[in-house]
Amino acid sequence: MPRPTSRLFPFLSRSRRQIAREVDAELAFHLEMRVEELTRAGLAPDAARRAAREEFGDLEFTRAYCRGLDERTERAARTSGALTELGQDLRHAWRTIRRSPGYAAAALLTLVLAVGANTAVFSVTRAVLLRPLPYGSPGSLVSLVESSPSYPGGLDVISTPNFADYRAAQRGLTGLAASDGRSVTWRPASGDPELLDALSVTTNTFDLLEVRPLLGRGFSAADSAAGAPPVAVLSYDFWRNALGGAPGVVGTTLTLNDLPYTVVGVMPRDFTLGQDAALWTPLDLARDLAHPEITRKQFHLRAFARLKPGVSLALARADLQAISRRLAAQYPEADRGRVVDLVPLRTALVGDLATPVLLVQLATGLLLLLACANLANLTLARAVARRRELAVRAALGAGRWRQVRLLLAESLLLAVAGGGLGIALAVAGTPLLLGLEPGALPPLFPVRPDPVVLAIGVLLALATGVVSGLVPALGAARADLQASLKENGRAAAGGVSGERLRRILVAVQVGVAAVLLVGAGLLARSFARLTRAPLGFEPDHVLTAEVRVSGERYDDPALVNRFYDQVLGALGHDPGVVAAGATMKLPTRGWITSNLVVEGEPNDPTRPNDIGYLLVRGDYFKAIGVPLIEGRFFDDEDTPNGVGAVLINQAAARAYFPRLDPVGRRIRLGPDPSAAWSVVVGVVGDVREQGFDVPAAPAVYPDHVQNTWWRSLILTVRTRGDPLRAEPLVRAAVHDADPTLALRAVRTLDEALGSNLAARRFALWLVLCFAGVALALAAVGTYGVLAFTVSSRTREFGVRLALGATRRSVLLLVLRQGVTWAGVGLVAGLAGAAVGGPLLRGLLYAVRPADGATFAAVAGLLVSVVLVACLVPAARATRADPVESMRAD
Amino acid sequence: MSGEPVDRTPPEMLQGTVDILILRALAWDSMHGYAISAWLDARSGGVLAVNGAALYQALHRLEHRRWIAASWGRSENNRKAKYYTLTPPGRARLRAESDAWRRYAAAVTSVLSPA
Repeated sequence: MPRPTSRLFPFLSRSRRQIAREVDAELAFHLEMRVEELTRAGLAPDAARRAAREEFGDLEFTRAYCRGLDERTERAARTSGALTELGQDLRHAWRTIRRSPGYAAAALLTLVLAVGANTAVFSVTRAVLLRPLPYGSPGSLVSLVESSPSYPGGLDVISTPNFADYRAAQRGLTGLAASDGRSVTWRPASGDPELLDALSVTTNTFDLLEVRPLLGRGFSAADSAAGAPPVAVLSYDFWRNALGGAPGVVGTTLTLNDLPYTVVGVMPRDFTLGQDAALWTPLDLARDLAHPEITRKQFHLRAFARLKPGVSLALARADLQAISRRLAAQYPEADRGRVVDLVPLRTALVGDLATPVLLVQLATGLLLLLACANLANLTLARAVARRRELAVRAALGAGRWRQVRLLLAESLLLAVAGGGLGIALAVAGTPLLLGLEPGALPPLFPVRPDPVVLAIGVLLALATGVVSGLVPALGAARADLQASLKENGRAAAGGVSGERLRRILVAVQVGVAAVLLVGAGLLARSFARLTRAPLGFEPDHVLTAEVRVSGERYDDPALVNRFYDQVLGALGHDPGVVAAGATMKLPTRGWITSNLVVEGEPNDPTRPNDIGYLLVRGDYFKAIGVPLIEGRFFDDEDTPNGVGAVLINQAAARAYFPRLDPVGRRIRLGPDPSAAWSVVVGVVGDVREQGFDVPAAPAVYPDHVQNTWWRSLILTVRTRGDPLRAEPLVRAAVHDADPTLALRAVRTLDEALGSNLAARRFALWLVLCFAGVALALAAVGTYGVLAFTVSSRTREFGVRLALGATRRSVLLLVLRQGVTWAGVGLVAGLAGAAVGGPLLRGLLYAVRPADGATFAAVAGLLVSVVLVACLVPAARATRADPVESMRAD
Repeated sequence: MSGEPVDRTPPEMLQGTVDILILRALAWDSMHGYAISAWLDARSGGVLAVNGAALYQALHRLEHRRWIAASWGRSENNRKAKYYTLTPPGRARLRAESDAWRRYAAAVTSVLSPA
């Protein structure tokens, strides 16, 4: 019996028709054979045919049965065939990659860095800018902002009476809610008391945000009625961490500021109003509304609202602005020049964070582009070097698509491996990275590697693989078969198109590196200037700690004073302490605003209505190192019930006493026109109270001894030695004065201020890292491409040298090539940086986006790095041996 | 295979039986369907004759299960014919089925034989 002809893939891709034909042929063959046999045995042809059909059985059914089955077989074979080919491609790719570990390592590292950085940064971008706020229908939530002549940018705090008036008169909102920050002392059943952040909120807050409590209930209107028993809603974290997550917590009592608060509910995890809060309590508007003539000038409520369905932001804004104009006319003392505005809640909550986040995202995007260029370059160089192998494959019958797929498989394999590692790195590294600067992100934006983030990471990795693999693969597959086969590997330096592509890739790399370096340079210069800016005080050797006098007994000012006097006295007498004082807020952390009227001066309407107001006591200025310019600091003459004593800064002296000596002058502070006069006892140096990047503005510092209504102070202790060693001392002093009170945030002033710079430092650090990586990639890319060109043109250089070219001219020839490509990229990159520079404006301090020095430094740096990267291959070109290269053929 | 028309539909022939007979037929060499049918006829002395419908349905079923593979070749009389070959999984299947059959047959024989 003859062997059947064997084929590797017997029925590759048979059509339905083909299958039918084959089944028919097979059955026909059987019948014919049978007929022949029967005829041979003596039957008439007709009878034989009939007999054969008869003994066969159900022919039509069998035909249909076999066709159907074969179609199924075919489909299954096609699928497994495709899988087999994919497996072959991948196995081949794996073997190829393993043969060049250097390439694999470079490509993997590039991918891990690029995909890791992009995934990590995207998880932050998503948290801050993309993920919906954790409220119901967050798109219709808005925040109220009032701008005034002193704060043209607007402040998100308004006065209680204004809030009430907006609420009563507005027509475009379904409701207005407000919150006010405070701190409370919690006395647990056992253990030390703790100072907690809390928010007082209007009782409609949770309903307005459409967030239901996890346990119990939210607030009802009755909770803020006069005489209602005090209630609190707990945050998830406080409930879990401080109370152990007890399920029966609703209905229990917490001792807050010596008062028993009934817990009525627990909010879900991650619920926040954008500020740290362990718990929420009902806001008592009635108390403020009882004295509108005073409270209308006190701006401390954060207000937010929800647009009515069908009402646009512009319409609601116009409605509120009409009310605010009416209020300005009606209460010029408080509201002159104040204009209300509505901004989307997300915008208000994200605030200054949007710019750095976008910036870092942009930087990582550029890094990814750079990585793509680098990978494409590497792959291209390899594809060119392997052109002969590919040509042989083509000659043996591999289709173009199969060729492309083979090269693509290598890139994809690397992309999957590198991307996987990168994503893992991002997932593991992001919390660590954020942990470095805990203050960088507000609690509203929990950064988690959710499925979207992971999907983006995978997508980026695959896209990188496809882009960096497809471009060179298509180029290589287009290679002229015959030419490649005829040539020796040496001449396969790539056709004109490959050469041009590599030049473009080098230019792209250098250009992207230039953009990143300029950005990083500008940020670094800003940061350096910012940290060196004269703050007006000396932050070293100072320990700070927050303490709040809480409880009804401290409604007696004498007790407040006795407490703080005792604490500061004990500290001041310690030999290790230089000076001890206390303040409402630390420098750069802001102030509250007030207004100042100088006795005998007309109330100048052009003069800013707002002056910074900070209560201080004891030797505060000595403790943080602020000089006394004239007059005196507070002393024992400033008794609780004596004439009010205030210090002003130099900015206030210039603004309010342009022609006079301020010391000894009488002024009136605050909104109450019937308030008693105070006396300016001294002028102190200007301190940057509102932020590192905000120059000192007029400020007034009244003595806390005479203003004990403010309960929470930050102790500041200047020590001779290590300030942290004074911590037990501070704890003992507070404990001795009142063991029921809690200390919080015990840390050095440096540390306390540092967290203020956290976001900025974080962004800078990241961009610097990216710029460093970009520089390294650009250098490696330039070097790699040039080295490849040189090695493939060794013979040409040899011939040139043999024909009398000097080594110097060969060196210059190669150098000129590399530098020209890089130069084009550099110019384009610098131009791009100049165009994109204004994006940075919000983050720069005392540095213009088009800072000449930075641009020059970046250009110089890149040129020297490129030169070094070019010099090594160029030097190799000069060593081409003329004899050797002539003999090579 | 004899030269007379025969009734080739033994009703007691189970589907599984046809399958194992085909696998056995292909154990030594590739064959086309008609040759398989002739081989079965000859080996069993006509007792285990399988009609064409059952044979080809079984062949395509076995091919779908990848126990046999098919390819086109030239027959003895130089005609295009579809040849079937036992695949490695088919060979394993044959071995397992044969053992089971032998045990089964021995059991039936011992039950039927006089005590």
